[in-house]
Amino acid sequence: MNGRSGVITFLFFLFLAVMILLQVLSMVQSDRLYERLNRLIEVREGGAAFRSKAEASSAGLPGEEYPGDEGDWLIWGLSGEPENLNTITSTSMYSRYVLSGNIFEGFLEYDPDKLTHRLVLAESYEVSKDGLEISFRIRGDVHFSDGTPITADDVIFTFETIKNPGVDAASLANYYRDIERVVKVSDREVKFIMRRVYFLSLEFTGGMPILPRHIYKFDKPDEFNKHISNPVGSGPYIFEKWDVGREIVLRRNENYWGRKPKLKKIVYRIITNDTAAIQSLRSKDIDYIRPLPDQFAELSKNEEFAKDIRCLSYWHPGVGYFWIGWNEDKPFFKDRRVRLAMTYLVDREMIGKHLLRNPEAKVPTGPFYIYGRQGDPNIQPWPCDPEKAKKLLDEAGWIDHDGDGVRDKDGVPFRFKYMIGSGVTLHEQIAKLVKDEAAKVGIEVTLDPYEWSVFSQRLKDRQFDAVNLAWGGAVEEDPYQIWHSSQVGNRGSNFVGFKNAEADAIIEEARQTLDEDKRNALYHRFHRILHEEQPYTFIYTRPEQRFLDKRVENVIIHKLGVDEREWYVPKEKQRYK
Amino acid sequence: MTTYIVRRLLLMIPTLLGITIMVFAISRIAPGDPVSLSMGPGGQLDAARAADVRKARMALYGLDKPIPVQYAKWLGRVARLDFGDSIKHHRPVIDIIKERLPITITLNLIAFVLIYTISLPLGVLVAVKHKQFLDRASSVLLFMLWSLPSMWVGQMLIGYFCGPTFKNWFPPAGLSSNYAEQLPFFPWLADRLWHLVLPVTCFTYSGFAYLTKQVRAGMLDNLRADYVRTARAKGLSNWVVIFRHAFRNSVIPVITIMATLLPAMLGGSVIIESIFSVPGMGLLAFEAVTTRDYNVVMAVATIGGVLNLIGLLLGDIAYAIADPRISFESSV
Repeated sequence: MNGRSGVITFLFFLFLAVMILLQVLSMVQSDRLYERLNRLIEVREGGAAFRSKAEASSAGLPGEEYPGDEGDWLIWGLSGEPENLNTITSTSMYSRYVLSGNIFEGFLEYDPDKLTHRLVLAESYEVSKDGLEISFRIRGDVHFSDGTPITADDVIFTFETIKNPGVDAASLANYYRDIERVVKVSDREVKFIMRRVYFLSLEFTGGMPILPRHIYKFDKPDEFNKHISNPVGSGPYIFEKWDVGREIVLRRNENYWGRKPKLKKIVYRIITNDTAAIQSLRSKDIDYIRPLPDQFAELSKNEEFAKDIRCLSYWHPGVGYFWIGWNEDKPFFKDRRVRLAMTYLVDREMIGKHLLRNPEAKVPTGPFYIYGRQGDPNIQPWPCDPEKAKKLLDEAGWIDHDGDGVRDKDGVPFRFKYMIGSGVTLHEQIAKLVKDEAAKVGIEVTLDPYEWSVFSQRLKDRQFDAVNLAWGGAVEEDPYQIWHSSQVGNRGSNFVGFKNAEADAIIEEARQTLDEDKRNALYHRFHRILHEEQPYTFIYTRPEQRFLDKRVENVIIHKLGVDEREWYVPKEKQRYK
Repeated sequence: MTTYIVRRLLLMIPTLLGITIMVFAISRIAPGDPVSLSMGPGGQLDAARAADVRKARMALYGLDKPIPVQYAKWLGRVARLDFGDSIKHHRPVIDIIKERLPITITLNLIAFVLIYTISLPLGVLVAVKHKQFLDRASSVLLFMLWSLPSMWVGQMLIGYFCGPTFKNWFPPAGLSSNYAEQLPFFPWLADRLWHLVLPVTCFTYSGFAYLTKQVRAGMLDNLRADYVRTARAKGLSNWVVIFRHAFRNSVIPVITIMATLLPAMLGGSVIIESIFSVPGMGLLAFEAVTTRDYNVVMAVATIGGVLNLIGLLLGDIAYAIADPRISFESSV
């Protein structure tokens, strides 16, 4: 071999190494893209339960003023675009960001600090003694942004539109299925008549966004479905334009009946790339984003970044939780002891600290918001204890009889498939961690990744052994759909097949219990049952994270999260006119 | 020539039919459907209700009928240029595409023109400087560019040139600034072009290698040919020899490449548009596939197919025009 070919060989290998490096980098990149995509969908799905339950509040009482100077815009960076701007038919969290509280309002909302109902469009409301009738009296001074007063007819129109089978709002209509009808008492008074008592009825009826009938009225339901843009409501902002793929612009409703926000415009810029969103924020093109956990962990420690940007991290009831579900139809997970053993195997503290990189992340013990009233605060999470897990598995009869290193029982080896959404790095990391821990005690786990739409289909058809996913939360949760035994199969949401007679009875009783303390006592018992039974291993719950330009002031963190309508920019710092 | 074109156009019909069958079959055989996706994993729907809701929605979108019936109906509509409504957006697909297509075409055309204006002279230059330093260096450089994944390059460009951390030269996303609509025409145009720099860079850099190599190979063949030697012997200037004689003959294969390059670039839009948040066809297609918005997926694929076929046809015609030796009449 002469010197020249040595150089060429060297160059060749150098080239190869560079190519491999580039390939790895591009793979990482594509993972990130998928992760973003899946995260969006996950958040959207999770958030759906949050819908109309706890929308941010406007406390729109006329007379009181928000503090601060008028003017300037707030520019959001959204990582996806709303599919439409019809508050009844849209299901994505993006359309909720744009519409709820800004354009549409209901009778009631949650007080952001007390988490009790307070009045918005209603002057007063009354729940009948038996809980079967709720009536609302509409304020005399409220009107839509075009000046038309809000009347009982608008309320009835909205309700009937939601219930119309031709209107593409099946999921929303589900909330109203126990409401038989709405009666017009007078022009300013309506009465909702319920079929049965349900503790969330007040929230659903009070939170219903009221549409102006004269704008949305239709002959055929499809006309309504096609009303996808130009939303008109009664809220503090008016729709200005939707430049598809680029931005949605709202401008302040100068005619607003209530307390006017200080910011003149809200712009929602659609930026599909996470890196680009951060860069836009840093170069002051946008003001407000929801970063990836990784971005937050990294940048919130960066002093230069924190000079211009406020790093907000706060808890609110919507944050939800991440879980691993064990399909109880499978021979392994039928036994409570095995499910508990699986929980003992997972080091959940470690997941929060090292995978999420969020020191504020918590290990939940049940499906309720950890700082809420529904859960029992005395329940402590099961610790990570592989020795105990082994003992439980032995007790349950899962012993390595044939000496092949894998536990078995009645000839069935403990081998299972763990279904995850493909490309979601965090979910994959958690699954791998479970796989490693399980291998140490003689359980063989295979990861089974699927693309999102296939994933959700298999989930509903219960074609999995174990699965992980996140649920969103709410101020008040009804566990019926996820935990009641009637929701097993038939595409219901009790995917893991949790069946417990006592839990069923509690869930049913709680639904009909209007007294909050009594109801919460029932839920505390329910929480205890779930804790003992471990149908899910509850992995983590974490605070909401946002980045916001520092020129915005009066950023208050309420129990319900932040309320953008309180914000303002001091005159000298205003950037847009 | 006319007969040839007519024959080719007629041949396009079965090809197109084949494309539609493939597109339709793939979109329906792929697991998952828009209804279960939009209903999410649930947590909100009662089991008994969920089944009803699902049925109602399937009927609403016409997905309850057998697949061949759906196909026939769809084909009938497409023949009248009606691609139906987007399931996700409740809007006619054709309207959405009308909004998006011009953006993608603008991007691609700019990139296309850039690639040709740089590659053609460069190819000639390196052929003339055959085996000299410039030839070797450009070859290495172009191949390096060619092998860089645009996904990675896009991300790097955004990381390094769009923020105060390194150089804040270009905007990281979108097609215009916050103030764009208040600007007069020329500043507006400058703003738009400024936004286009990075996406167009991403479209172009990898295209140079292939084209330059083609031109170079063609030129080398021709420069060695007898007629070039004759021309030189006649005492023609080097310039005339290269451009009047050799170049014109080397450019023929380049024309055919044009026909295949354009559709390939449309494919590349999917990646680049999602990196730079450019609301074009690529981003539309990407979103439609992930949400199983069948009508949009099929419309995009069908339009892509048609563009492809047209590209190939134009390539063939251009071939005949550029090279008088090629005649389609004789082969008919």
